[in-house]
Amino acid sequence: MNSLASRKRQEKIVNTVCFVLVVFFSALCLLPIWWIFRSSLMTNNQLFANEVPFFPPDWLFSNYPKALVNFPFWRYLKNTMTIIVPSVIAGTVTAVLGGYAFARMRFRGKRFLFVLVIGSMFLPTMVTLIPLYIMWTNVFHLNGTYWPLILPYFCGGGAFNIYLIRQFILTIPRELDEAATIDGAGHFRILISIIVPAIKAAMIVVALLLFTQMWNDLIQQSLYIHVEKKFTIALGLSQFKGSLKQDYSAIMCATCMSFAPGIIFYLLGQRHFVEGIVLTGMKS
Amino acid sequence: MPKKTKHRNALLRSENRTAYLCLIPSIIGLIFLTYLPLLEVFGLSFFSWKGNGFDTFQFVGMKNYVKLLTTDPYFKESVAVTVYYTFIAVVGSMIYSLIIALLLNRKIPARGFWRAIFYLPYLLPAVAVYLGWNWLYNINYGLFNFIINRVFGWPRVGFVNDAKLVAPSLALVAVWLSGNLIVIFLAGLQNVPRTYLEAAEVDGATSWQRFWNITIPCMSPIIFYNLLMALITNLQVITPALALTKGGPGNSSRFVSYVLYQYAFENRKFGLAAAVAVMMFILIGVFTVILFATSRSWMFSEGGDD
Repeated sequence: MNSLASRKRQEKIVNTVCFVLVVFFSALCLLPIWWIFRSSLMTNNQLFANEVPFFPPDWLFSNYPKALVNFPFWRYLKNTMTIIVPSVIAGTVTAVLGGYAFARMRFRGKRFLFVLVIGSMFLPTMVTLIPLYIMWTNVFHLNGTYWPLILPYFCGGGAFNIYLIRQFILTIPRELDEAATIDGAGHFRILISIIVPAIKAAMIVVALLLFTQMWNDLIQQSLYIHVEKKFTIALGLSQFKGSLKQDYSAIMCATCMSFAPGIIFYLLGQRHFVEGIVLTGMKS
Repeated sequence: MPKKTKHRNALLRSENRTAYLCLIPSIIGLIFLTYLPLLEVFGLSFFSWKGNGFDTFQFVGMKNYVKLLTTDPYFKESVAVTVYYTFIAVVGSMIYSLIIALLLNRKIPARGFWRAIFYLPYLLPAVAVYLGWNWLYNINYGLFNFIINRVFGWPRVGFVNDAKLVAPSLALVAVWLSGNLIVIFLAGLQNVPRTYLEAAEVDGATSWQRFWNITIPCMSPIIFYNLLMALITNLQVITPALALTKGGPGNSSRFVSYVLYQYAFENRKFGLAAAVAVMMFILIGVFTVILFATSRSWMFSEGGDD
């Protein structure tokens, strides 16, 4: 009994130490964001002073409207969303369809197709960059439009996402589908009325993964979009930095603004997010 | 009896049809966006092409490869730089994210909140992240030199402007961005069977023993998965070079992907760039095979279960 009590106490100490470490590491993790944010609230003179302050001397939120004059954030955001919204929806829907077929149906060539899907997970995207560029530019003449960025997401939504959805559907008891089949429901009815409500968490995971993937994809965007009017946030930011050189106060304002949408998207879906990854098991 | 099999066959046929209907988008993607381009890039690497029209291909045999491996001024160094960067980024982010996940897996208040903080960097657009970190690394006015110089009184450090330090500095950003690894590790930790841990505790195993003999073996498939994905992602690194360093100072951040990009889209030497892509494919393939081959010795499998 005594040893159990001492073990309980020990456990408590370990948990406290862990908590202190978590707070310490998260402070370290946030420090870069703080420095960027604090720089966005200072004048360039303050930024380039000899004695660099840790806190902004006066919190100049007025820097933001000033930065917006040269950095049309809202237009870049609208352009980015024009690409992301249809892609995320299409990518999620096609991943659900693919995952459903692999999880629940018998068909010829299933094993072979599944191997192809898994194989493409390991295929580096940089390797196929050039042939895809040639296809969109020289065959379909779509360079300069958003289509080369959007259309790929209408084609399966990425192998990993198909796999994730499949794993998730495998955890749903088959009896549910069978009962519905006896009631005369077809595959699509089962998908919509039984599977989709049960895999909402996984769908949110897939949507978030697709979102971050596109959000970060500077290279493809820079290959297919050349006109400033059509720039995404990533492209706009790249160009803004080049055109301003030393106006770090404005650059940091632009940086902070572009941080916002990803954070908002995560906060909206975060409850489902980790749950989704936990439930899929990710065992093999 | 025959009637019944006939009915079954019809059912199977209809299922076959529905399955293919569901898979049409994925199959199109697999063919036209993945495997066909893979073959094309192999083919293209034996040609010289300036991107001017499909009648201007010139067969050059192995010339592109010979050039890359002999006289090319960038390629060999870019492989070294990329492997160096990848080593630091992968080791760093694996250790960092495993430690954070282990800490977050304890009973601590407001776990979701802390988890969100560590995940946060992953959600920021990469270009913004590199712009921001460039400023953090500034030799006179950045955060790191504020800490190094003002807080500790050590000499200032050039970070991304120092040829020796640019790769480790960019790798540190990759570590900071590894929130997705943390989430996957956390998911794995929550799947470690509680019964094993409790049984070991009853038998008097210390927490350290439980960690090494139960948690780590149960986690090994997830460690393997994270390691593989981190390796593949980091070997393809391009955004920091594209958004920030342009390969410099000198060639010390001229990653393989960036050489590929420059050859194809700045110099319009598509054949040569395709050869770089093939070499990259081989490089990543070699690392993947090594990882798979060694995994048998350290990966624990529960046997039978999935």
